[in-house]
Amino acid sequence: MIPGRPRFGHERSRRAGVGSDSAETSPSARAQPIVRLTDITKQYGGHVVVDAVGLQVDQGNVLAIIGPSGAGKSTLLRCVNLLERPDSGRIEVDDHVVNAGEPTSGRRLAALRRSAGMVFQSFNLFPHLTVLENVSFAQRRVLERSGQEADERSRELLASVGLSDKADAYPQRCSGGQQQRAAIARALALEPAVMLFDEPTSALDPELGLEVLAVMRQLANDGMTMIVVTHEMSFAGSVADEVAVMADGKFIEQGDPKRVFENPSHPRTRQFLRAILER
Amino acid sequence: MGPYWNILAGLPTTVALSALALAIGAVAGVPLMLARRSSLFLLRAPARAVIDLFRAIPPIVWLFIIFFGLAETGLQLTPFNAAVAGLGVISAAYLAEVYRGGLMAIDKGQWEAGHALGLSQFHTFQYVLAPQAFRVALPSMATFAIALLKDTSLAYSIGVNEVLFRANSEAQIGSGSSLAILAFAGGLYALLSIPTALVARRLDTALRDKVAR
Repeated sequence: MIPGRPRFGHERSRRAGVGSDSAETSPSARAQPIVRLTDITKQYGGHVVVDAVGLQVDQGNVLAIIGPSGAGKSTLLRCVNLLERPDSGRIEVDDHVVNAGEPTSGRRLAALRRSAGMVFQSFNLFPHLTVLENVSFAQRRVLERSGQEADERSRELLASVGLSDKADAYPQRCSGGQQQRAAIARALALEPAVMLFDEPTSALDPELGLEVLAVMRQLANDGMTMIVVTHEMSFAGSVADEVAVMADGKFIEQGDPKRVFENPSHPRTRQFLRAILER
Repeated sequence: MGPYWNILAGLPTTVALSALALAIGAVAGVPLMLARRSSLFLLRAPARAVIDLFRAIPPIVWLFIIFFGLAETGLQLTPFNAAVAGLGVISAAYLAEVYRGGLMAIDKGQWEAGHALGLSQFHTFQYVLAPQAFRVALPSMATFAIALLKDTSLAYSIGVNEVLFRANSEAQIGSGSSLAILAFAGGLYALLSIPTALVARRLDTALRDKVAR
């Protein structure tokens, strides 16, 4: 939909110099796990929102998490980059490991978060900065790139999400779809190992949602590892390598999207899919 | 024109007193607000006590305590310094609350966006939240600055040689109509207050939409 767009996914080469990184040495690097959650539990005041969930996403794969509201999808996703601290379990992202309950320094937390780009339902762009500054900001403050270097990279990223002409606009002068694409560029600017999407199109009308989905589709095609919490079934069906259905804090069904959508095994999945199809 | 020139000559003192107290308050209000928001009781409790105490007791009482009261302990400040110190601390207490309100008005997604990018808590505050909170706080800060400007006239009571002090002296010695002299002093305060309010309103409109609420 955005012709002649440069591709994402360059710089996917794993950062060199990290000794324990098997990707440099192993020929089967494609299957390397990027995110692994083990036994994640999160409760609020006695209410268990995420109930001993585990998941693994390998490099270049896209996992879509679907399910009814209140199932714990967003909470689980927010545990991946520790915006929510789980009560128990283990989180591995790229080569960072955090065990729930053990004290984690701000520095380790920041390092893990740097490896996981987050896209929010409500965009959360910084309204006091232009679109370009939004994308350059963390490159300068976190990666310590020079302003010029950061801006150059930001312009490439903005071009790749079709926003070259909005670089100098403030977010509130952009449509929701443009804001969300800018937010994707902002998250990509840190060259994350995985991108996390928390209902990225839920705040958008269907047309603007399509712009964002097109960018996400491109990103997936270019080999980005992604976890997407979404209600967009056709996106999940056509882009995801795996779909997980979540209800009441647990994955009740998981597998190939075609299989899950066409032949769901769990009655709760059938009920949920029927509700969506009947809309 | 004798008495009027004399009153006018007090204007720099009034302005300096306002500006210094505001500057102290604007700077000291930041750590005070951060302490007030802290999750550590040992920081939060004293900050809260300072904020509440300085706002609960009338400014003139504080000026008396600092100027006359502290003199008893051997700390004898000049009237001007006592007024700057007193109004400065009161300003810090008020502005800490103004800042806190500004910060609370910002959508919490902004914290999350900063953290998700791998920024520390402090950098997220410094680069993301503070600039937006400041924009929100600006109108309240301007309102406070105007109130403070008027409150500097209280310094007359400890002998600071500012506008009201001079006007009152001129009126007492009968160098002209008391009504005219005091109205002139009042006019000077209005002349400072009204443009401040206008500038604040302009700034507010200009900055309003660059904030996530």
